[in-house]
Amino acid sequence: MKNRYLVGGPITPLLISELFTLGNDDAGAGAVSVFIGRVRDDEVNGHRVTAIEYSAYSDMAGNEVDEIVKTVKAAFSDVRKVIIVHSTGVVKAGETSLFIMVTAGHRDHATRACRHTLEMVKERLPVWKKEIY
Amino acid sequence: MSSTVKVLYFGAALEMTGRAEEEIGAGDTASLRRDILDRYPAMKELTFRMAVNRVLLKEESLLKENDIIAILPPFEGG
Repeated sequence: MKNRYLVGGPITPLLISELFTLGNDDAGAGAVSVFIGRVRDDEVNGHRVTAIEYSAYSDMAGNEVDEIVKTVKAAFSDVRKVIIVHSTGVVKAGETSLFIMVTAGHRDHATRACRHTLEMVKERLPVWKKEIY
Repeated sequence: MSSTVKVLYFGAALEMTGRAEEEIGAGDTASLRRDILDRYPAMKELTFRMAVNRVLLKEESLLKENDIIAILPPFEGG
């Protein structure tokens, strides 16, 4: 990936399987928590969403991801690795647009930090969406 | 004093202005905000924050020549 936080188009099963291997070199990480966000085929004003086109302020996204990771690691001392990848461009309904993975020594910090990372991504990552019907 | 800064529009702001970027002369972020709302009255309906040189603006500040100002509607990632 040119930019390790943003990927053009959907986050494919192949990419997800590659992302899963990050942290495999850390035998102290006994817990891995993952969140996968997918495009939902919502109905809006009688029209079914078939895809979402995401845009991002990529120059700022890298700094924000670094800050999120730093904040999460400071809040959860057992966390060892935080991976965040978001799509840009068109992602069809059912496809993955967000991947978050947190590794930690134990399950408590892994699961809580994963949720916390998700909320921070929603709050801080400069990404916008446009529904396609 | 006025500086020429580059203004980037994202999300709904891009749709409302019909442009991704432009150069505007402004002395500080408050006057730049007023200028943008004068140019694009539709944006008065939009809540947006600003980033100066890729950092979210926390309080109004002076602008320097060639600063990059991003107009950021509420984020919608996830």
